[in-house]
Amino acid sequence: MRKKTVSSAADSTGGETISPLKIVILGVGNLLLSDEGVGVHVANELVKMDLPPEVSVVEGGTDGFRLLNVITEADRLIVIDAVKGDAEAGSIYRFDIGKVQNCPSGFKTSVHQIGILEVIDLSGLIGKTPHTTVIGVEPKSLEMGMELTPEIKSKIPRIIELVFEELKKILPLN
Amino acid sequence: MAKKVVVDPITRIEGHLKIEVEVENGKVKDAWSSGTMARGFEAMLTGKDPRDASYITSRFCGVCYSVHQLASARALDAAFGAQVPWGGNLIRNLVMGAEYIYDHVLHFYQLSALDYIDIMAVANYKGKDKELLAVKDKIVGLVKAKDTYPLTPRYAPDEFTVKDPDLVISAVNHYLKALKMHAKARNMGAIWGGRTPHYQNIVVGGVTSYPDLNQWARFRTMLDEQKKFIEEVYIPDVLTFGKGPLWPLAKMGVGGGHYNYLSYGDFPKDSAGKDLVFPAGVIIGLDPANIKVDPVDTKKITESVKYAWYKAKNPVHPYDGEQVYDLDKKGAYTFVKAPRYDGKAMEVGPFARMIVAKNPDVIGLVKEGAKPGAVARHAARAIETKLIADACYVWLDQLLTEMTKPGFKIHDTAHWDPPESGMGAGFHEAPRGGLGHWIKIKDKKIENYQAVVPSTWNASPRCENGVRGQYEESLIGAPVPDPENPINVGRIIRSFDPCLACAIHIIDPQTNEIRKFLIE
Repeated sequence: MRKKTVSSAADSTGGETISPLKIVILGVGNLLLSDEGVGVHVANELVKMDLPPEVSVVEGGTDGFRLLNVITEADRLIVIDAVKGDAEAGSIYRFDIGKVQNCPSGFKTSVHQIGILEVIDLSGLIGKTPHTTVIGVEPKSLEMGMELTPEIKSKIPRIIELVFEELKKILPLN
Repeated sequence: MAKKVVVDPITRIEGHLKIEVEVENGKVKDAWSSGTMARGFEAMLTGKDPRDASYITSRFCGVCYSVHQLASARALDAAFGAQVPWGGNLIRNLVMGAEYIYDHVLHFYQLSALDYIDIMAVANYKGKDKELLAVKDKIVGLVKAKDTYPLTPRYAPDEFTVKDPDLVISAVNHYLKALKMHAKARNMGAIWGGRTPHYQNIVVGGVTSYPDLNQWARFRTMLDEQKKFIEEVYIPDVLTFGKGPLWPLAKMGVGGGHYNYLSYGDFPKDSAGKDLVFPAGVIIGLDPANIKVDPVDTKKITESVKYAWYKAKNPVHPYDGEQVYDLDKKGAYTFVKAPRYDGKAMEVGPFARMIVAKNPDVIGLVKEGAKPGAVARHAARAIETKLIADACYVWLDQLLTEMTKPGFKIHDTAHWDPPESGMGAGFHEAPRGGLGHWIKIKDKKIENYQAVVPSTWNASPRCENGVRGQYEESLIGAPVPDPENPINVGRIIRSFDPCLACAIHIIDPQTNEIRKFLIE
């Protein structure tokens, strides 16, 4: 039987790694701020699909610190999120964590905010930092609303294709 | 000459809180607390099926979602006339109990401890403990690699900062252990909640899925491990620091504020609902020698918008609240409204709950000379974490008894359909403090919805008659000898567990290189 879960947390007593290789697709964002929630919308589509048994999909909402359990239990992490990069709305980014500077400028004098990139960094303090790939989408609107804008909604099939391309790279035999 | 100091953002988690203080002669003379992001998610709820409210409100905040889900479900329970069976309440309690354990441990170690220790002192550790030497190697290694985030201190150490290498290395070791503990605590709520984040099981009338013995046993095993950490690490650490190197700060009562406290009361210990883990009560102008607690009357709650970016309106009860922005309003400086109880600015949260409860451990610290303030807040938080963990065992035992009864119920199915019209309020003592949701229903749809969240109380601006909010008041007189290094401002505000997340989560890499990764 193929494993398909929204969150593996309920099956876990905590801390352990589920062998042999655990791939987590983590969709994050705020469902109430239109395109900010694109990662959540993609995760909700992915959970309906037939995925290899090594793969679990987690819809992470706007969680930060609290995704630590998900992150530390993953060997390989694929994050789907809105990314502000000043490109045209609907543009898609792909980057591996480590190649983007994690700390916002000026954090030395202010107090830092913890975001998803920082939590991935933090996971290294208590174990391994999973090799992480971000697939990002430039949002069009961050206004209140539970629907994506048509421009971003139309990108969902392509984002899912890109997720599958990543999975093929990680699991070449499948 | 007074000098203005701005700390922005002040939260260590996603948040949009700015604190401005005016410093004169090395002390804070005046203060302004400002929420810099518009919220107003409530407006989205108008016209929706009331049953959607508990799911939608759980998305209000990226950090404390389950608390909204519960407060919302309770508001709906009241409006629908639903009677939650004791079995349903027990499961609600257990889910939230796990949240408390998670939240408070995280707050102390990850969000606050670095305000009090000089992490660089680990390099001077001369002991032979293998575990601690490994911590030393790890931290020194990170420093050499210039990769100290997120352990980098925000401010330079001051006279109160703990620099003793043995104490600091033990604290850093526990910081790392706490990370592991709350990665695990996170899974506890999901046992009943069905998933995490954003639990699915809490709905109007009770909860959605029956517990089984396997879940029960897993929860209990995980609780054992958390309780051990709370009793053997968390509480001893808070006491070692609070009554040791931080005792001068505790005695000074740095961060005291108005000394007005509100607890809505929460977590029934039995089906009669009379005996609460956190009793309800109001204290106005605390006199530690003679603590006078009055009953809570939620009709006395009003919200002022005089200094907030909303259309001018006289203070109203949350049932009648609205979100109409006025960004050009003269004198306004925040998106946070100013809730008041009987016209008074209140503190909500662990210290409010523990002092309203006349908790003997907190009273004991006060008798020894600790004054209400930043350090006392940390102590109260640790003490109530143990109370909740202990209560979880009681609830587990009761749940087991309920599960074996014939006709065991977790939901009031007779009240699932929305009423034609109605109104209801739901209260929850969330880890950060008292939370209230108010709903009005018309034609089976939501007519109006308002939430007054813990940080709205604590972070509120001035009200109609110019009285400061609790953050603001708690800063008055705080020592800031060096305006470039306002470390006490951070300590005071973070002792409240500030959070105005509500909840933007976009990745903003703050680098021009992002375009290189553009693929299409």
